[in-house]
Amino acid sequence: MNFIHRAGLSLWAKKGRSLLLILLTAAIMLFILTGLLIHSAADTATTNARKSVGASLTLSANRQAAFKKMRQQSKPSSGSRPTLNMTPVKLSTVKKLTKLSQVTGYNATTQTSVNAKSFSAISTTSSMGASPMGGKMGSSSSQGDIQVNGVTATRLVDSFSTKSAKITKGRGITSADANTNHVVIESELAKQEKLAVGDTIKIKTTSTKKVYKLKIVGIYKAASTTSTQMGPNSTDASNQIYAATSLANTFKGSSYKNTADSVTLSISDPGQVSAAKTAAKKLINTSKYSISSDDSSYQQVKTSMKSITSISNKIIWLVTLAGIVILTLIVMLLIRERRHEIGILLALGEARWKIVAQFFTELVFTLIVGLVIASAGGQVVANKLGQQLTSQTQTTQAQTMSTQSGGQMGGGTPGQGTRPSGGMPGQGGQTQKAAQKTKLTTSIDLTTMVELGGLGLAIMFLATVLAAGGILRLQPKKVLID
Amino acid sequence: MLEIKSLGYWYQSPDESLFNDVNLKFEADQTYAIIGSSGAGKTTFLSLLAGLDQPKAGEILLDGQALTQIGLTAYRRHQVTTVFQSYNLLPYMSPINNLLTALAITESQHKGDVAYAKQQLQQLGLTDDQMTQNVQHLSGGQQQRVAIARSMCCDARLVVADEPTGNLDETNTEAIIALFQKIAHEQHKCVIIVTHEANVAAACDQTLKLSNGEFEWVTQPA
Ligand SMILES: Nc1ncnc2c1ncn2[C@@H]1O[C@H](COP(=O)(O)OP(=O)(O)O)[C@@H](O)[C@H]1O
Ligand SMILES: [Mg+2]
Repeated sequence: MNFIHRAGLSLWAKKGRSLLLILLTAAIMLFILTGLLIHSAADTATTNARKSVGASLTLSANRQAAFKKMRQQSKPSSGSRPTLNMTPVKLSTVKKLTKLSQVTGYNATTQTSVNAKSFSAISTTSSMGASPMGGKMGSSSSQGDIQVNGVTATRLVDSFSTKSAKITKGRGITSADANTNHVVIESELAKQEKLAVGDTIKIKTTSTKKVYKLKIVGIYKAASTTSTQMGPNSTDASNQIYAATSLANTFKGSSYKNTADSVTLSISDPGQVSAAKTAAKKLINTSKYSISSDDSSYQQVKTSMKSITSISNKIIWLVTLAGIVILTLIVMLLIRERRHEIGILLALGEARWKIVAQFFTELVFTLIVGLVIASAGGQVVANKLGQQLTSQTQTTQAQTMSTQSGGQMGGGTPGQGTRPSGGMPGQGGQTQKAAQKTKLTTSIDLTTMVELGGLGLAIMFLATVLAAGGILRLQPKKVLID
Repeated sequence: MLEIKSLGYWYQSPDESLFNDVNLKFEADQTYAIIGSSGAGKTTFLSLLAGLDQPKAGEILLDGQALTQIGLTAYRRHQVTTVFQSYNLLPYMSPINNLLTALAITESQHKGDVAYAKQQLQQLGLTDDQMTQNVQHLSGGQQQRVAIARSMCCDARLVVADEPTGNLDETNTEAIIALFQKIAHEQHKCVIIVTHEANVAAACDQTLKLSNGEFEWVTQPA
């Protein structure tokens, strides 16, 4: 009949009291479990976001260096107009960069414009009207009415990956379309010109005035929100066609073979962005090219997850503290009620620590049963929480996306030979994908239960120790003889 | 065996001491009866012998060693066993388990011996049925007998009992006093019984009377 045996007998003899204590413990454990679940869900979400949001490095001509060079040129050579010489990115350089372990893929883009030959481009009558200084008048030689976006694949373009632009017929451009005359045109243009997938169209390049036959492999619908760019050199959104980078290069001229205006390298782990950037800088000529990184969406997701984590930390502390206070008070109350029993044991010569140990054992048993109940209840909480957090993540990511695409609006003027570095394929598309992938599996695993059990044990221990003061001071005579 | 030196005790203030400068000796193989009017301080005195409280003055020695030196917990565990007026059984247990608990705590030679515990209870007239049900379902007299059995089953050489027969009928009282005599003489224990019953006192080897704070031998110890 040791103290463990006594604990069992006591729990069994006072079933009602034991049951109430078990339910109370279960309730407190469930609160703490909820905190732990929020915490681990936030952790998982951050990890998932890190894995799936991704980040990118954008490689493009070093404009600053190019302008500097131009200014240097202009000084001594009076008379001849200085020219801005932007070096396009060589695909061989890109191949080198894709060998970096952090880089998982790339999208090489080249933009140029051509003039419609076998069909007419959609003409826009903006409020500005056909301005006398209209782009076409002044620069008809360098600016065509059809804008060609050379891409490695259309699905890598942010408007497509965010689903703001959609392939409605046929298919998009893929890497298999390299060195072909395949193009994807906009649905409004197709409608106006009665063009369908499989049809052939003709265009004339602006620089060499050569005529090329292009085969339509797909028709896409541009984003309804995409505003037609106003002002000179403007083109209607429907006049944008997509082609392989190689085709766009051909239109620009033979010197552009195997190059790209800019290249976006996908980095799988956003945490690796700076490492990848450093490694990439070693492989490129930084005076010609500049490299910029973008992991802002990851940072944003991380920030929002951090706040959830910190809230959950506070919840755990608060609930644990409340649990300690409540349980301690109740344990003290129960122990007061059992003063007589303690006195009897003391009179028999029982060591005081063994009496404390008996109460602790009773509480541990209560805790174990309470944990079982709490884990069952926790599963329900976990499911609800998982849904809640997933939608929260998606909201955050959607916000990230809209902020970014908003910022990108009106970025570089399309149609220029070289796009300004920086704002190429924004993270928006990738973020959207991340939101879909970020399935928060908030479930109760063994680690969580061990954590919870540990916390519960600590609470029970503390409650017993605090209540034990009464046991350790109790004079048996006072409770036994009166 | 037990020596009381200049013992004094009071509750409120030293001026109102229940007894003062008490010097007594109790020996093994003897049964002692302490008599006195109600409120004389018998229970208080017994609680000091039982190691449940510390004297305000003087000391108690067991075989020449002060109780404070032995340590009250160790003294209670190994040297003394108490029968309380209010039984003080563990309420969530059967009589058998109450005995087994006492045997375990006192580290008795009979620790864990269920048959021994049963035999002790049988000796005091409890049926097998009564032994295994919760002690709270037993009558006062039955509970008192369980409390006596719990004390007798332990190895302690000193047995103190406060009105152990207060709730028993004459037959049971006689049987229990006989048992106290038996363990004192056969197991060489020292039994000290507080009682207000003349027949119980008469059955004991020695009688000590407490009145007005003074202890007085009614029968001079041998
Ligand atoms: N805990 C206590 N506090 C104050 N006075 C007490 C306490 N216990 C007993 N007394 C008083 O001490 C006296 C002796 O009590 P007690 O030893 O129980 O006497 P007896 O057992 O001889 O009837 C009584 O007057 C009683 O009121
Ligand atoms: Mg009394």
